[in-house]
Amino acid sequence: MKQYFPSDYLPLLVQFSAAAAFVVVTMIATHLLGPKRNSKVKDAAWECGIEAKGDARTPISIKYFLTAILFVLFDIEVIFMYPWAVNFKELFREMGSVIFVEMLLFMALLLAGFYYVIKKGVLKWE
Amino acid sequence: MLSIILLSVSGIASLFLGFNKSRSLLMPATLLFLLVALAVNLWDWNVPFTLSSAYNNGMMTVDKTTIVFSAILLVSALLVIPFSQNYIDRPQAQPAEYYAILLFALVGGIMMTAYDNLIMLFVGVEILSISMYVLAGSDKRNLRSTEAALKYFLMGAFATGFLLFGVALLYGATMSFSIKGIADYTNANVGNLSPLLYVGIVMVLIGVLFKVSAAPFHFWTPDVYEGSPSLFTAFMSTVVKTAGFAALYRLLAVSFTGLYDYWAMSIAVVALLTLVVGNITASHQHSFKRMMAYSGISHAGYLLIAVTAFQNTSQDAILFYSLAYSVATIAAFGVLILVADKQQGSEDFSAFNGLAKNNPFLAFVMTLAMCSLAGIPLTGGFFGKFLIFSSAFAKGGLNWLLIGAILMSAVGIYYYFKVVIAMYIREGKTEKIALTGLQQAAFVLSILLTLLLGVVPNLFADLV
Amino acid sequence: MVQNLFYFLTFLTLLSALMVIFSKNPIHSVLYLILTFFTISGHYILLNAQFLAAVNIIVYAGAIMVLFLFVIMFLDLKKESEQHIPALAKVAGVIAGGMLLVIFVAAFKSMQTITPDEASFNSQIGLVTTLGKVLFKQYLLPFELASVLFLSAMVGAVMLGKKEEGERNTF
Repeated sequence: MKQYFPSDYLPLLVQFSAAAAFVVVTMIATHLLGPKRNSKVKDAAWECGIEAKGDARTPISIKYFLTAILFVLFDIEVIFMYPWAVNFKELFREMGSVIFVEMLLFMALLLAGFYYVIKKGVLKWE
Repeated sequence: MLSIILLSVSGIASLFLGFNKSRSLLMPATLLFLLVALAVNLWDWNVPFTLSSAYNNGMMTVDKTTIVFSAILLVSALLVIPFSQNYIDRPQAQPAEYYAILLFALVGGIMMTAYDNLIMLFVGVEILSISMYVLAGSDKRNLRSTEAALKYFLMGAFATGFLLFGVALLYGATMSFSIKGIADYTNANVGNLSPLLYVGIVMVLIGVLFKVSAAPFHFWTPDVYEGSPSLFTAFMSTVVKTAGFAALYRLLAVSFTGLYDYWAMSIAVVALLTLVVGNITASHQHSFKRMMAYSGISHAGYLLIAVTAFQNTSQDAILFYSLAYSVATIAAFGVLILVADKQQGSEDFSAFNGLAKNNPFLAFVMTLAMCSLAGIPLTGGFFGKFLIFSSAFAKGGLNWLLIGAILMSAVGIYYYFKVVIAMYIREGKTEKIALTGLQQAAFVLSILLTLLLGVVPNLFADLV
Repeated sequence: MVQNLFYFLTFLTLLSALMVIFSKNPIHSVLYLILTFFTISGHYILLNAQFLAAVNIIVYAGAIMVLFLFVIMFLDLKKESEQHIPALAKVAGVIAGGMLLVIFVAAFKSMQTITPDEASFNSQIGLVTTLGKVLFKQYLLPFELASVLFLSAMVGAVMLGKKEEGERNTF
């Protein structure tokens, strides 16, 4: 069996730093290259020529939160599927279709919940 | 074992029954599910059903003790459900969800009675707790209910953190999640135990003692019990407590028998503290519901005495006491729900003034429940206390605890009889309260059980 | 090389964790917290704990932080309500924090470095494959029952969060 070590993540690290470097370089470059013209009118939030008033930060609807919570739950479900998928071949050889059925059962309960969520109209956006 | 599967499936079934236009089907269906689960649970009596080892690798064992504990949980749920009538008749009620979550909560409760592995204990505790957090806040437009849910959630999550940390430390010390594996480690390494083990035991105990609301960890109880809808308070104070004690005793009896000297004293002190705090504070309350919350704390104290005694008879005593306590508590909450509904939601003692005049049956049920909780002879509560005290007496060296407990029982009589006095002697008028057939049946069943436990205790005591 | 990487990551972790506390803007706090999670994932990778690293990024940095952001959006942050902390609480806080520091220093002083047992040490223990083999064979039952937990959490969330038909909005 192949042994894994942290050094196997080196390509990932390179990718990460390349991505981060791109962002940083772009930001610095635009800052240096672009012309800067500040004035009171130019810095004001654009609101169709009408004077801006109030705050952009108003409390948002609970609906977003509900969606986010459901997202978390299904995200955790995905976490369970990750080691399952990685091992599927080997476990299938060992245990037969049981390994498939057990995930099916797990999914069935969660999908029952998903069906309930859909039927309840939680994801309906008016 | 089968009852867990059945309850999970019936939870989903009742969830989907909620999409039906008619709501009247929901309660009978839930009762039916519970009855079937109870029957299946008892079916295992002689030959416990176990999944083949491919599915159940020492995760849980069903034996007679766990069957009786699960049966107590299921009977409690069966007795609570009829009183949900008023609650689900409100226009904004979501009965399908309530019942589904109750059924799921029972799955967690049964897992807590039969676990063999600390992971199972954790998942069970979580299922039960999360369901209770939600149900505590199910009266969404009521600020007190929301407050109860938030308090319960924050404190409960904190306690679960303790439990989980303790489990991790136990694993670190013993390299095993299995309670038998931990026992093997402690037996094999006497005198050379890892310090992690001791810290782990303390943390797990804190987590579980929080769930049963024992004294230094009880601060959430009054507010949560008072704020939650009475229906779910009844469920919380019976099912959660019984499951918690089943889990506590199982852990101590299987894993830490050899370490009795280490944990017994702290549990004994917690027991005395719980008794004193619960009983003394209960006698000051104006609200009947809040009094019941403190009485729930004090009963955790009595049950902890049995845990401290740790005799052969202790487990029977816990079983017997849990049953007697659950039945009486649910009967009391049943009357409270019906009375409070007539008295514009007032849950004070004064709401019961003159109840006996027009509702002699309800007053009788309440009196009997109070007698049982106070431990008056001829009721189940008396023999429950008797069994617990005699097991502690047999242990010896716990006389200080027993004296404290007996003194506190006397205090208990005072506040339990406040409501009886209000019902029979105080002036007041409550019109006749109509009972549904199911509610009558639940009351009659609770009367029968309380009297049976009190008159022929051997019927149950020899069972396990 | 690994050691330098470790020190760098630790520096970054501590810095971003401190910034979570010290930044005035709650949104910035959340962003720093996400950075903290990423650097902690880096530590996990250094420990060869693949699965923890992945879970930490997917669940914590991905999902939980979305919830955090939403909660901050719920709050009414317009009022800059600087909470007044009484002097007694400040003194108590300093004493409690100081005692914790003393305990940490004491623990640090009596700390021994434990070297892994060469015979039983398995560098592959934190891999996803190792975990999967245990989870789906030995811990099958708790795994299946965890779905009941998720289901009841889902139903509970919908029950508490969903506006019923005919229910009035209070704001």
